[in-house]
Amino acid sequence: MRSLWLDMAALVRGLRAGRVLRGLGSVQGIVSPQCRNVRRGFHRATLLRLADDSKSGTSVPPPSFHEVPTAGESSSSSEPLEDGQPNTSYQDQSGEHGEDYETEEQLQVRILTSALEFVPEHGWTVEAIAAGAETLGLSSASTGMFNNGAGDLVLHFVAQCNAQLAETLAEQHNLVQLGQAESKETAEFLRDAVEMRLRMLIPYIDTWPQAMSILLLPHNIPDSLKHLSTMVDDVWYYAGDRSTDMNWYTRRAALTGIFNTTELVMVQDSSPDFEETWDFLDNRIKDVVNMANTAKQVQATGEALVQGLMGAAITLKNLTGMNQRR
Amino acid sequence: MQRAAKCALRPDLSLVFCPSSVRNCRAVNRVNGSVLCRRYSVLPPPRDKEEKAMLDSMLRVDHAGEYGANRIYAGQMAVLGRTQTGPLIQHMWDQEKIHLEKFNEILGEHRVRPTLLLPLWNIAGFALGACTALLGKEGAMACTVSVEESISEHYNSQIRTLMETDPERYTELLQIIKEFRDDEIEHHDTGLEHDAESVPGYFLLKTAIQVGCKAAIYISQRI
Repeated sequence: MRSLWLDMAALVRGLRAGRVLRGLGSVQGIVSPQCRNVRRGFHRATLLRLADDSKSGTSVPPPSFHEVPTAGESSSSSEPLEDGQPNTSYQDQSGEHGEDYETEEQLQVRILTSALEFVPEHGWTVEAIAAGAETLGLSSASTGMFNNGAGDLVLHFVAQCNAQLAETLAEQHNLVQLGQAESKETAEFLRDAVEMRLRMLIPYIDTWPQAMSILLLPHNIPDSLKHLSTMVDDVWYYAGDRSTDMNWYTRRAALTGIFNTTELVMVQDSSPDFEETWDFLDNRIKDVVNMANTAKQVQATGEALVQGLMGAAITLKNLTGMNQRR
Repeated sequence: MQRAAKCALRPDLSLVFCPSSVRNCRAVNRVNGSVLCRRYSVLPPPRDKEEKAMLDSMLRVDHAGEYGANRIYAGQMAVLGRTQTGPLIQHMWDQEKIHLEKFNEILGEHRVRPTLLLPLWNIAGFALGACTALLGKEGAMACTVSVEESISEHYNSQIRTLMETDPERYTELLQIIKEFRDDEIEHHDTGLEHDAESVPGYFLLKTAIQVGCKAAIYISQRI
């Protein structure tokens, strides 16, 4: 009777994502420790309320996750309570973590990573996230964790690609430092880095325009700009740029332009293995290199001109006798 | 690219032990620095984003300050270069060049963004140096006194911040800032010795320059 009452109170309390999750996620009998911790991570807040409720409840049936296949006993009505009871005692240990404790962020990362394989099918949408969650054995309602919906998925993918790129560039940098590899020319390095990063889009190229438009939504712009600027900074750093003047800004701006335009060309490129895209990239990098050389020449000419003018001024001062030590 | 070539000649074996991000390798760099590679780390590898942001803004403003001081002395030399105070100003300028070089190195190595307003400080510094030098030797010295006072006050507050946070962690950085602060105070005293206070409107000039310096410091920390 008491268990029924607590049950209804809990149901009335709210359709928390976790509650619905447990109801829908059909994991009966043997519950893996990871799943247990997933649930724990999910509804910490719920548990705090449960702790208030069920502290006095001593006559509670044994918990289902002690690997006792009680398929018959673990009916849906008593399931919420069983999970609640042991979890509250876990809570009482004031947040001490077991070895397999997983934070909510880690769980989100896991769900988003597994959601990526459903992107070709569902696009960059909440359905893909739901499908990914279901693969991990969670309810599709766990998409409620992601306030930004599809934006979270796209940003996660971008962050993952950038991290992969940074890692690869760091490894190459190490090899060069150890003398085991040749260091590349700047233009070649930039070309290879941008190509490497863009090739990570190939599996998702059909749905990438949708992702790009999601990244351009106003609430996603700060994050997407941050990812882009970090990536460009990484590429230039490993290309050997250590400038501390306006070159720092102009180089990164140039590479951002190259990257964005090449990405746009790539999404509408239908040539085999995206040859046209790589040709376009080659040409843009050549343009930038040419511009940099021209800028240097202009500066050199300007300096020579200034020197010439100074020489003329000094000659004039000498002629008029003004150039004397005061 | 030259840097990569330089380090290829001096293989840094510490990097073998940490194949992941280069940033993390700096901790190992610090230990092996004296043995293998001339390159050593002035900063500890950042613990978290807040520390990185704090160190970034500190180094950014210091770099901007040295750059500005460089340009001020350049302006003064342009006007007074061939007078009797020329060698004195040149000597102080050379020391500032060393400071700027050091900060350039630190910024490049630790991936600190330089301030966006460098061209502005370029022009403003040169203009300030040239204009005060046009007031004569005393004017130039007054400008030196004001600027060096602002900069040494700024370095002192940075030293205080670092000491309050964790002196052990920032030993090298503290050493560098202390050294530079001592140099700036020496310039300040030199300026006073050479009749800075005898320029007409000294107090007004000093206040105006110091207000400008404070504004420049405030902006460079953020932008």
